[in-house]
Amino acid sequence: MANHTATLDSDAAAVKRVPLIINDRKANWVTDNISTIVEAKTPIWWWVAFCITAPIALFGCFCIAYQISTGVGVWGENHPVGWAWDITNFVFWIGIGHAGTLISAILFLTRQKWRTSINRASEAMTLFAVVCAGIFPGIHVGRVWMVWFLAPVPWYNGIWPNFRSPLLWDVFAVSTYFTVSVLFWYTGLVPDLATLRDRAKSRVKKFFFTVFALGWRGSNRQWRHYEMAYLILAGLSTPLVLSVHSVVSFDFATSVIPGWHATIFPPYFVAGAIFGGFAMVLTILIPARLLYPQLYDVITQQHVEKMAKIILLTGSIVGYAYAMEFFVAWYGANPYEQWAFLRNRLADPYIIGPALHVQPAPYWWAYWSMITCNVIAPQLFWKKSWRRNTLIVFIVCNFVNAGMWFERFVIIVTSISRDFIPSSWHLYHPSWVEIWTFIGTFGIFLSLFLLFMRFLPMIAMSEVKIVLPEADPHHNAPDAHVGVEAHH
Amino acid sequence: MTEHSQPKAEVFNQNDAGNWLPLLLGAGAIGIVGSAICAFIPNLHEQFAYSWLFAFMYFFTLCAGSLFWILVHHATDAEWSVVVRRILETVAGLLPIALLFFIPALLCAPTLWKWWNIPHGADEVLDKKRWYLSHGFFVLRYVIYFALLSFVALSLKRHSTQQDADGKASHTISMRKFGVAGIPVFALSLTFGAVDWLMGLDYKWGSTMWGVYIFAGAAGSSMSLLVLIVTALKNKGYLNNVVTLEHYHIMGKLMFAFSVFWAYIGFSQYMLIWYANIPEETSYFIRRNVESWWYLSLLLVIGRFFIPFPLLLLQWTKKVPKVLCCVAGWIVLMQMLDLYVVIMPMLHKTGFSPSFIDLLALLGIGGTLGFLFLKALGKHNLFPTRDPRLPQSLQLTN
Repeated sequence: MANHTATLDSDAAAVKRVPLIINDRKANWVTDNISTIVEAKTPIWWWVAFCITAPIALFGCFCIAYQISTGVGVWGENHPVGWAWDITNFVFWIGIGHAGTLISAILFLTRQKWRTSINRASEAMTLFAVVCAGIFPGIHVGRVWMVWFLAPVPWYNGIWPNFRSPLLWDVFAVSTYFTVSVLFWYTGLVPDLATLRDRAKSRVKKFFFTVFALGWRGSNRQWRHYEMAYLILAGLSTPLVLSVHSVVSFDFATSVIPGWHATIFPPYFVAGAIFGGFAMVLTILIPARLLYPQLYDVITQQHVEKMAKIILLTGSIVGYAYAMEFFVAWYGANPYEQWAFLRNRLADPYIIGPALHVQPAPYWWAYWSMITCNVIAPQLFWKKSWRRNTLIVFIVCNFVNAGMWFERFVIIVTSISRDFIPSSWHLYHPSWVEIWTFIGTFGIFLSLFLLFMRFLPMIAMSEVKIVLPEADPHHNAPDAHVGVEAHH
Repeated sequence: MTEHSQPKAEVFNQNDAGNWLPLLLGAGAIGIVGSAICAFIPNLHEQFAYSWLFAFMYFFTLCAGSLFWILVHHATDAEWSVVVRRILETVAGLLPIALLFFIPALLCAPTLWKWWNIPHGADEVLDKKRWYLSHGFFVLRYVIYFALLSFVALSLKRHSTQQDADGKASHTISMRKFGVAGIPVFALSLTFGAVDWLMGLDYKWGSTMWGVYIFAGAAGSSMSLLVLIVTALKNKGYLNNVVTLEHYHIMGKLMFAFSVFWAYIGFSQYMLIWYANIPEETSYFIRRNVESWWYLSLLLVIGRFFIPFPLLLLQWTKKVPKVLCCVAGWIVLMQMLDLYVVIMPMLHKTGFSPSFIDLLALLGIGGTLGFLFLKALGKHNLFPTRDPRLPQSLQLTN
């Protein structure tokens, strides 16, 4: 009987909502503890971290300068592998940015209040990831001073851009995405900048925060305008979550190359981008919580678990897409399609290759790394205790980060290195310049993120305050629920 | 109603169905008997097979789409949808019956799926996928979809109605588990059902997007069906203190989202096939973009996306049930058109050729399912009265 009662209690407890911000924190606690990250003296660890990331970023810039001044020959591209690490890195970074837009736009429209704890950092991450992504299409054209040809400058040199080219659509998609993401991020920042302005002690800080807070006083009228602007931007950003990576997928899927041409590419790329984006959000926020322990009350286990669930869902969607590609390649009975999947990707030297009596695929290791990282690793999140274990979550997220890079490498390189004509086959090996350019973008990304943490509030204070218990109109009412809980 | 009071349980009174019960039963009987007669008339047999498959797929996708919304409700631990969940459960509870209606189509397999009667060695492409497109495995897959989808739908309904009786939170936990585990089951069953029954109409054609395309139509149209059923019940005096305009607003938003999603998936599939221009793939659209099919294809694009999109973009349309019902009814019709354009060009290659058997099949399956739905609706409360999230659902604000 006692056991039965205990089970009933645990069931009832399991369906009870947990407050989003724990330990009964008040609004002033949020202001003090988030602002202090920006206001306090720069910690030693920050300098150590910056002194590591900044030189890496600089070396990446050197590699870019070397490549531009010397030519794309310093990379490992060949014929037929005209795209390799450059576009792999572009798609990888663009994908990373998607979680920010999803969190700020789609989760806002669907009233997922848990987003408030993570949206600011994710949006910042989006911008920095797009900055890193934007480098690669620009420099991969070779003569970078001609890159403005990508923009539709009318009738210059008598050449109109080719509007039928997905590469041109990419320019529109990415630049629109970046513009709207900046506006969204900045709009959300305004009330928090005003908070920092009011708290600033040095004149320089006060000046800058005053300028960027745009005269925000928190009046009713301002809030009404702000909320309307935020809603409109969320509405504008929502199609962008789908469109950007769909257009990126068109770069490949409009072709006739086996392994590139698949109708499922647009939603598959979008799911993959959200998948990789959330993994990167956790990769950054889990250590950030360690460095600023007050964040444990704001980015709670509940937040980590919810993100782990999204990773499980999107990882499984990606797995579904891999499976459908394979199934239709086999079902279609087209020998070239089957070759691309079996002999360029799947066949390993140990099990499948020998079992099917085929030579191992040159890049089998990349393919199986992708499957392990993207499809198998996230399945750990089916188990509740594992997705609540921060270490496991962190490790899986890093698997996903690696897996999503491998995915783009597999799609791009394995498909074109051995295409229709065997006499033109050529394997691809990256040069040191390519490798360091990619590592350099990590330096740029992390340096920008460190600067962001140092100079701007990494948690959206004004939004977090809305989900605090005391923001509930029924707070302290005789029969009120305690706390605003995770609404769905 | 005060904020914390619970509304009284409501059970659908069969008398409120008026003449609908005999009408639906009569329509079902006429449809099934009429279709059965056509099935045995040699000249009409082929038309019967296609008409039946079309009607089956239409009602199957509506039921399966309803199951999808229940799965999403539980997997996301949603609040808003508690008050409409029983309706979805009742529609999804028809899945076993809906799937039984596939059997006549299965009996016409040689007519519908050309690969069925092609002997070994006659087509190299087919020989390469014989183990998948074989009679035994084809039937086995149907049995698997039937068993899995029925099990998930009925288990969810059982737990939900039991909770009405005992109020135990453990049912919510069980439903959540079914909800989460049901998602891959649903995704794979719907995908391969769509591959087997629709994509297989032309066994040489394939698209990796196909399962997603059929899903997009199913999800959007079943949400529209939900709006229609809720409104019909409200007109009869039910759910009036339960389903509010806020719920309509959300249902309208989801109809909007899935109109856009359908267009996104449909456009992506079309554009990529058009752009790559590979003959094995373009055959699908060439067949549907010629003769009078072209007008129906155009109507589908306009009707399934360009008409609902601006209407549902406005806020007020989602908060006026009559207006939302007009759009919902239109979307449910467009789902029918969608499946018609998918299936019928395989029979009438020279153009749109409506048949009275289409109507008979629709009446037969639709009438029977409608009758069973009304019967099932009267057996349980119209909304989950003891769901732990019910208070939040009742107090929903957008």
